[in-house]
Amino acid sequence: MKIIFTVIKKELTDTLRDRRTLISAIILPAIIVPLLILSVTKLQKSLIDKEGRKQLKIALIGTPETIKKEFEDDNFILLDHFNSETGKEAILKDSLDAVIEFHPDFLVNISQMKSGTLNLYYKSTNLLLYTRISEKIDGLKSQIINERVKQLNISSEAFTPIVISKVDIASPKEQIGKMIGGFLPYFFILFCFMGCMYPAIDLITGEKEKGTIETLLTVPASRFKILTGKIVTISIVGLSAALMTILGMVVGLKFLPDIPQDFLNSISDILSIKFIIMLFAMLFPLSVFFAGLLSAIVVRAKSFKEAQSLVTPMTFVVIIPAMIALMPGVELNWQTVWIPILNIALATKEIIAGTIGIGQYITIVLSLTVLALVATSFSFKQFSKEGMVLK
Amino acid sequence: MIQVQNVTKQYVLSKKQQKELQTNDTSIFAVNNVSFTCTPGRVFSILGPNGAGKTTLLRMIATILKPSSGNILVSGASVLDNAQLVRSKIGFLTGSTNLYDRLTPGEIVKYFADLHGMDKEKFMNRKELLFDQLNIHEFSKKRISQLSTGMKQKVSIARSMIHDPSVVIFDEPTSGLDVITAHNIIEMIRQCKQEGKTIIFSTHIMSEVDLLCDDLAIISRGNLIFNDTMENFRSQSSNQSLTEAFIQIVKENSTRIVA
Repeated sequence: MKIIFTVIKKELTDTLRDRRTLISAIILPAIIVPLLILSVTKLQKSLIDKEGRKQLKIALIGTPETIKKEFEDDNFILLDHFNSETGKEAILKDSLDAVIEFHPDFLVNISQMKSGTLNLYYKSTNLLLYTRISEKIDGLKSQIINERVKQLNISSEAFTPIVISKVDIASPKEQIGKMIGGFLPYFFILFCFMGCMYPAIDLITGEKEKGTIETLLTVPASRFKILTGKIVTISIVGLSAALMTILGMVVGLKFLPDIPQDFLNSISDILSIKFIIMLFAMLFPLSVFFAGLLSAIVVRAKSFKEAQSLVTPMTFVVIIPAMIALMPGVELNWQTVWIPILNIALATKEIIAGTIGIGQYITIVLSLTVLALVATSFSFKQFSKEGMVLK
Repeated sequence: MIQVQNVTKQYVLSKKQQKELQTNDTSIFAVNNVSFTCTPGRVFSILGPNGAGKTTLLRMIATILKPSSGNILVSGASVLDNAQLVRSKIGFLTGSTNLYDRLTPGEIVKYFADLHGMDKEKFMNRKELLFDQLNIHEFSKKRISQLSTGMKQKVSIARSMIHDPSVVIFDEPTSGLDVITAHNIIEMIRQCKQEGKTIIFSTHIMSEVDLLCDDLAIISRGNLIFNDTMENFRSQSSNQSLTEAFIQIVKENSTRIVA
C-alpha cells in the first residue's frame, strides 16, 4: 500500500502542476459550466424579449374594417398595398413579416354563425410571430363567441363543456429532478471522462514518450502497484472534474435570473448528504472505469499526439449514452440498468427526483464496479507487456 | 556481481515488421546466447555498433525486459525468479535525462527513495551526500523544466544512486551530452569503482572505454564477439588504435556470423 500511496502522491503533485489538466478538470467545469448556463439563459431571454418587442410588419388583405381596428396597436405596422403574391415575395425578402388574407365570405360566415377563414402567410423561422398573431386572433375569437352567446341567449359554459382542473402532485424536487436531472449527468459524465483523459495520456504515454518509465520499472515495486497508483490518480482527477461540474451547475442555477424561491429551496433540498453519497458511490467506479479504459488505450501510443488521436473519438462513445438519457420516454428499468453510462445518467435523474429503486441503484453501483475492475485488469495486462511500455 | 548466463532475447516479427526489415525470418535475435561476468570493484564495458543489442542486454539485467532463455544473476538474485530483489540492488542510468519536468530535484529524489523503501534518516543522509557531491543544492527547489541539460543529468545521477545500489548499470550515459556533463558521469563511474560497486556500462565511445574500462565485451548483431580484460584487448591491438582494433573485430565477426 505504501508504494501505491507514494505513486499517488507523486502523480497528484505532478498532475496538479499541469495546466492542461487544471483547465480540463477544474477551470472548465467549475467556471465555464456556470458561465455557460448563465450566458445561454440570459441570451435566450434577451432574444425572446427582443422578438416580443419587435414591431411586426403585417399586410392585411380583404380585412373588414371592424377587424382591422383590432390590429391597430404599437406592436404592428399595418400595410395594405399588398396582394397575396407580392406579400409572399416580400416575406421571402424579409421586408414583410406576415400576410393575413381574409376570405371574401369571412364576415358573412361569421354573421351566419359559421367559421370565417383567413390565410396566414409567414416564415416559421420568424420566432414568436405565430404566437403573437395567434394571441390577436384568439382575442377576436373570444369577442365573436361572446356575441354568439348573447345572440343565442345561452350560458358561455355551453362552449366550454369540459374544464380541466390541473393538480400537480409531483413534489418540486421531483419536477426539478426530471428537468435538470436530464442534462446534469450529461455534463458531469462528459467532464469526468475529459478529466481522466489528460492525466491518463500524461501519466502513461507521457512517461513512455519522455522515457521516464524505463527508470521507474527498475525500482523494487511491482508494475501492478505502479499502475494502480496511476489509475487511482487519474480517477481522482476525473472524479474531481465531475464534482466540480455539479458544483458549477448548482452555482450557475442559483445565480440565474427570475428563478422562483421554491426552485432554489428545492435545489438546496436536493443537495443533501444522501444525494452526495449516492452520486459519489456511482461516480467513483465510473471514474475508475474511465481511468482503466483510457490507460489500456493510451499505453499503446508512442507519443502524446498519437494518444490524443486514439482517445478523442472515444468522447462520442461516452456522450451518446448520456444523450440517450435526455430523450423523452427513456426511463430507468431493469433493461437500462445494465447499460453503462446510460444507467448512471438515468439513475441521477431518479435520485434527484427521489424516485430511485434501491435494487436498481445497487445493481448500477455493482455493475459499474465490475466494469471498473475489468477495465483495470485489462489495463494491467497491457501494461505488463514489454512491447507496450517501452517506446 | 553480475553473471549473464547464456542469455537470449528473441522477438517474433509481425508480417509488417518482416516487410520493413525485408526478411522472411519470423523472429529476430536481439541478443543471442551471451554469457559474461562482471565483478565488483571493476568497470565492465559493453561495446558495440548501433543496434548491436547493448541496450536490450542492459534492460534484461535491469529487469525491464525478460530474457527469452538463459538467466542473469545480480548479486546472486535471478532476474527471472526474484526480479524485485534484483531491482533493489541496482541503479540504472541512461544518457537521456529522463525526468519529470514539473517536479523539483528534491521531489524526484524523494520519490525514488520512497519507491526503494528507504527510511527518512538514511534518505536525508544519502541525499545530503549526493547533493553536495553533485552541487545540486543551489537548484534543488527549481522545477526540472527550468534546468540545463547538465543540471538535469546531475539529478538523474542522484536519482539512480539515492538508494546506494551495489550494482550500477549505465546505458550510454554520456550519449549526446556536452564535455562537462559527460565528465560528471565519468567521475561518478570512477567513484562507484572506488566504492567497490559492480559497474556495467554500454558505449560506442572508445575514449571512454580506454579511460574507465577494466573488462570489455564487444557485441555485434546480438552476438558476443569479444570478452576479455582491457589489458588483453590493448595488447592484442598493439599496432592499431583501439578504434581500429574494435572495427576489425566487428568486421571479422560480422562476416563469420553471416556465413
